[in-house]
Amino acid sequence: MADHTAAGIDLQKVKPSVVEEFVTGAKKGFYIGAEMIAPAMVLAYVLILFLEITGLMKGVGKILEPVMTVFGLPGEAIFALVAAFFAKAAGCATAATLYSKGVITAAQATILFPACVTMGTLIGHFVRIVIVSNVNKKWHSLLICVPLVDAAVVMILTRAVLSVMGLNG
Amino acid sequence: MAEQSQEKYKVTWKGWLALIILIISFSGVFAKIDGPLRALDFQVLTGEFGRVSEGIIFTGKGGTGARDGFMFALTLFPTLMFALGCIQVAESLGALRAAEVLFRPILKPLMGIPGASGLAFVSSFTSSDVAAVMTKGLVEDKMMTEEERTVFVAYQYAGSAPVTNTFGTGAALLPISVLPVGVIIGLIFIVKVLGANLVRLYLSRLSGNRGEGGAANG
Repeated sequence: MADHTAAGIDLQKVKPSVVEEFVTGAKKGFYIGAEMIAPAMVLAYVLILFLEITGLMKGVGKILEPVMTVFGLPGEAIFALVAAFFAKAAGCATAATLYSKGVITAAQATILFPACVTMGTLIGHFVRIVIVSNVNKKWHSLLICVPLVDAAVVMILTRAVLSVMGLNG
Repeated sequence: MAEQSQEKYKVTWKGWLALIILIISFSGVFAKIDGPLRALDFQVLTGEFGRVSEGIIFTGKGGTGARDGFMFALTLFPTLMFALGCIQVAESLGALRAAEVLFRPILKPLMGIPGASGLAFVSSFTSSDVAAVMTKGLVEDKMMTEEERTVFVAYQYAGSAPVTNTFGTGAALLPISVLPVGVIIGLIFIVKVLGANLVRLYLSRLSGNRGEGGAANG
């Protein structure tokens, strides 16, 4: 079906102007902001406030400290990764919240950035990519692990880049 | 049908220019330069909010909870609209087709997938769904094997649509990140290729000793 629409667009004689294209894209950006980012930010801020007031944040943070040090992150950073698992936007929003609370530094937020995008929205995209592209069922469990491994690697890689550039502060 | 229009399409100088400007703009190379070239940088053009008082923008200081979260989300709208507008324009000028010309010959050494998947490959930079549909079609048209598809999907699945999603879903971290957004996208791309190659390695080992294949899948 997508092929038909793609060919249909190619056949159209009248191409939208650059201005029209920009407006279309900017509108898309506005809707992403309204439909994904704003709800994710509200959720993330409320959740972090809840974890803070209940003291769960400090507790869980302490327990996970040794694991997260490998990536140059405090234990509390795990909340960003857990949120990212459900939605990329929620993960990034949580990381931003942790930064605004002073729990993580800007450099640590930068380490979380590519990781949240890499391992984000795993279930949703499983349907949209793995199921749609019709990959053989026997590789499904293997494919789920790939973004998680990639995310771990990208955190180490980003940390290395930051320390090479002297931005690790 | 998609294949036919793919053959006919010719990459124009506009496509190349759009691709080059997009890469320069997101890479942040001109961000700290004095003079007119700064006008090409994405962060510079995104600009700044005005200050309500000394060092404080309209979101205020000391807010908490849902209200503060909403105020922060408001600050991200200009970046999102500007970024996706630029990407849309670059796409319409043929920047993706230009990128396809660059990537097509190296797809085989990079991930072991055929050059015919070039259009799906470059589409996956900005869209999760288009590439997945194309991949299905490539296998159905016998232009890609079952194993190549698994490797290709491993690439697409991790960090899907990295260009759109780094701006879109990552909007909250854009103003905080100490690295230019182009570098972040580059890092995501590197691990995507790495992950795909791990799957490639795993699959080729598996077909090497097919007798004991199933047990290793975990």
